[in-house]
Amino acid sequence: MNTLKQILSSFCLLFSLSLSAQKNESALELPYTNKIEVSHEVLESLFQANTHIAVEISPEFKLVGDIQDKSLHNNAVVSLLIKLEGSPKGTLSISRYRDPNGHFQYTGHILKLHEVEGLVLKEKDQHYYFIETQQKFLVSE
Amino acid sequence: MKKYTPYIVLILMAIMKLPARAQNTPLLNSYSAASATVYLDFDGATVTGTLWNEEGKIVAEPSGLSPATVTWIHKLIADHFKLFNLNITTDPTVYERAPLHQRVRLIITPDGSWYGPATGVSAIGSFVWGDDTPAWVFMHALSDNPLFIATAATHQIGHCLGLQHQSVYDSYGMMITELSGGETNIFANEAPLMGIPFYKMADWKDGHPSTGASVIQSDTAQIAGTPNNIGYRKFAVSGSQSLSAVKIERQDARHLELSSLGDYSYRLFDLSGRLLTQGRLKTGYNEISTSTTSQGIYVLQWSGENESGSQKIIL
Repeated sequence: MNTLKQILSSFCLLFSLSLSAQKNESALELPYTNKIEVSHEVLESLFQANTHIAVEISPEFKLVGDIQDKSLHNNAVVSLLIKLEGSPKGTLSISRYRDPNGHFQYTGHILKLHEVEGLVLKEKDQHYYFIETQQKFLVSE
Repeated sequence: MKKYTPYIVLILMAIMKLPARAQNTPLLNSYSAASATVYLDFDGATVTGTLWNEEGKIVAEPSGLSPATVTWIHKLIADHFKLFNLNITTDPTVYERAPLHQRVRLIITPDGSWYGPATGVSAIGSFVWGDDTPAWVFMHALSDNPLFIATAATHQIGHCLGLQHQSVYDSYGMMITELSGGETNIFANEAPLMGIPFYKMADWKDGHPSTGASVIQSDTAQIAGTPNNIGYRKFAVSGSQSLSAVKIERQDARHLELSSLGDYSYRLFDLSGRLLTQGRLKTGYNEISTSTTSQGIYVLQWSGENESGSQKIIL
């Protein structure tokens, strides 16, 4: 009887864990799956760099590369174009602007044109994530 | 005379160096009252610093289209956005004055070889990014056909406004084709603008986008709503004019019967702005099926060449 109880409680635990995992996943809308959190400090450091960036977010995720272009739009939005040589590879395009409350907001992507996968920078509850997704959901013909 | 020759030569050289705009591109606006702007750039451009610039700067040649063709293409595109509080312009100064997070530039240029074999390309949702990422239409890939150029431009603007492709799925939810050519109703000569819109009457649709069979994408609600926040145009048509042009003659639970004084396109929305059905009204008697529409208050919007209007309907 005890064994049955243990099996049932283990099953309930597993079921609730899987439900909670699904809930966390849906917090950042499908089809987005894997996500890498990036702090405000890291994002800000990109905009302070002059020519080169080298930031290790995790052993598998390092933003390393040269700034190709820095542009200002209507004195309000700053955009960077960075050619990444680390992992991931590709082109990071990232922009920064102040919201009506005076806080910095960021938008960005890491793409390599014509590749299947891409990463999009998304904000959720004042946390930023690079989210792996299919590039066709970011760039379309 | 001889002493003026160098000046004359200089003036002639300066005239020849003037950008194509001065001679060619008419400055057109579809709805100047709107601040949200789509700029159709027929004049060529040098693009740097955007996600398209993996291989360095892109020099896009001017379209070389005649003023009459530009005007016609602008009109075709503007007609697709007649419903929205959005200005389609060919004037770069209007684009520069538009809010950063409610504007996009669409570069219409002959050659897209820097990108590859495509009729155009754009970044989904770039209308609100604020970093002036442009979208593209490549004319040679469209056989330089003005109708195809206008249709492809509308498709790319749809992407910039956040729309995905309208797709076709089987009953198990497996994708049959990413780009719908209107196969869901083979008896209608209609196709979604966000599918393959070139060979049929193309319009915005509600359907299943490329992100999944379980998702419904209402093109019009997406364009008007968050995050673009442009909304629908408020038609400034006098009540008597609008009521006299399209009039409800009879209605029951299954049908709306209308008389129309002209040929118009119509759209039926619920009060949240969700598009329920759309079609065309011809001069004279028309019937709209409402058999799948539940009881409630709806808005019928209609628009034609020179006039448009809307009215509330209680079903």
